[in-house]
Amino acid sequence: MQLRIEMDCEKRIALIGLRSLESLGVRSVIHELGDLSVAVFSDFRDFSPFSVKTDAYVVSGDVFIGNMDYFMPRKQKTVVVGNGGGAGGGRQMPAMIYPDSDESEIQAALRGIVASVKEDDVIPGELSQREKEVLRLIASGKLNKEIADELCISVNTVITHRKNLSAKLGIKSASGLSLYAIMNGLI
Amino acid sequence: MAIYNKESKLSDAVLDNPQLIPVINRLGVSLGIGDSTIGSICAKAHIDSDFFLSVVNTFIDKDYFPVNARGTFTLEKTIDYLEKTSRFYKMVQLPNIERHFTSLMMRSGTDNNLGHLQTFFIEMRNQLSECLTYETDVFFPSLKKGIVLADMERVLSGHAEVEAKLHDLLYFFVVHLRGDYDRNLCMAVVSSVFSLERDYSQNNRIRSRILFPIMEEMMGDAIEN
Repeated sequence: MQLRIEMDCEKRIALIGLRSLESLGVRSVIHELGDLSVAVFSDFRDFSPFSVKTDAYVVSGDVFIGNMDYFMPRKQKTVVVGNGGGAGGGRQMPAMIYPDSDESEIQAALRGIVASVKEDDVIPGELSQREKEVLRLIASGKLNKEIADELCISVNTVITHRKNLSAKLGIKSASGLSLYAIMNGLI
Repeated sequence: MAIYNKESKLSDAVLDNPQLIPVINRLGVSLGIGDSTIGSICAKAHIDSDFFLSVVNTFIDKDYFPVNARGTFTLEKTIDYLEKTSRFYKMVQLPNIERHFTSLMMRSGTDNNLGHLQTFFIEMRNQLSECLTYETDVFFPSLKKGIVLADMERVLSGHAEVEAKLHDLLYFFVVHLRGDYDRNLCMAVVSSVFSLERDYSQNNRIRSRILFPIMEEMMGDAIEN
C-alpha cells in the first residue's frame, strides 16, 4: 500500500496497517462525515514521523496490539479494525469495527472519532503540559513541597497532579512514574 | 467466589485456585492430598483448621474478612506463616524471576528497553528484601516478646510500595516493552512476576486482616494493664 497524504485540511485522521479495500471504505465514510484530511500508512513505522500532526486513528488489530503504549492513551480517538466478527471495544478499549460489521456500526464508530476531533484539540488521557512538568520533577527525585515551590502551586495541587498522572498512565509508584518519564524522553 | 469450610474438599479448593499450592505448603500440607475434607486433613496434620481456613479464604477472596481473627489465632501461627512466606519469596520466587530475567537479557540483545525494566526489577527486589528482612529480624521477634514496635505503619507502607512497584513492573512489560526480545523467556519473566505479585498482594491482606487485628488486641491489652 502506498503512503498517501491529503494535506488540504487542518485536522487529520491516520489509517494505519489497513488492507486496501478497508482503507478505501474507511476513507469514503470519513469524507462523508466531515471535511477532514486522511493519511494512509502501511505500518506504524511509516506513520511515526507524522504522529504529531495526527488527530485520530483507524488502525488494524495488529498495529494496535503492537503499539498499545501509543494507542491506549489515545483510545478515545482510535478505532480498531478487527479481522472477524466480534464484540465492540469495552469501556477500557477503543471502538472496534469489523469487515462484516453493519454499515451503521461502522459509521457510528467513525462518526465518534470524527466528532471528537472536531470538538477539541486535547486528546483525553494524554498528559497536559503541567502534568508533564510535574512528572519531570517527580522523576528528578523532588518531593511534593519542592515541586510545589518550583511550579508556584500548592502541595495539594501537586498531589492532585500525581493522582491524575497515576490514573492516566496506570502507574502506581513514584519509581514507576520516573521510569515512564525516562522511557518517554521527558528527562 | 467460593468460601471454603471444614467440610469442603481441599482438592476442590486447590483445583479451583491453583495459586493456593504454595499457601497450603506454608501451612504444612503437601500435594497428594487425596479426596479428604479440609477439616480431616487439618486434624491429621495437627493444623488449626480455623486458622487454615482463614488464611485460605483471605488469600482467594479479596472481600473475605475473618470475623473471628481476634482471640482465635495465636500470634505465633500467623508469624510462622508469614515467615515461611518470606523465605519462599527470598529463596524461590525472587531468585526464579532473577534467573529468568538474566536469561532474557542474554538472549535478547540490546535493541529493546529491557535494561530499564531490569533496573526497575532490581530496585523492587531490593526494597522487598529489605521489608522482609526487617520484618523477620526485628518486627516479628519483638512481637513474639509482646512488644508492638511503633513503626507498624512503616511496615505496612513499605509493603504497599513494593506491591505498587510489582504492579508497575507488570504494567511496563505489558504496555511499554519495545524492541526485539526472546518471547519465550519474556513470558517466563512475566509469569513469574505475575505469580509473585498475586501471592504478595494476597499475603498483604493476611497482614492487614489477621496479623494487625491481633497486634491491635495486644496493644489494647497493654493499655488496660
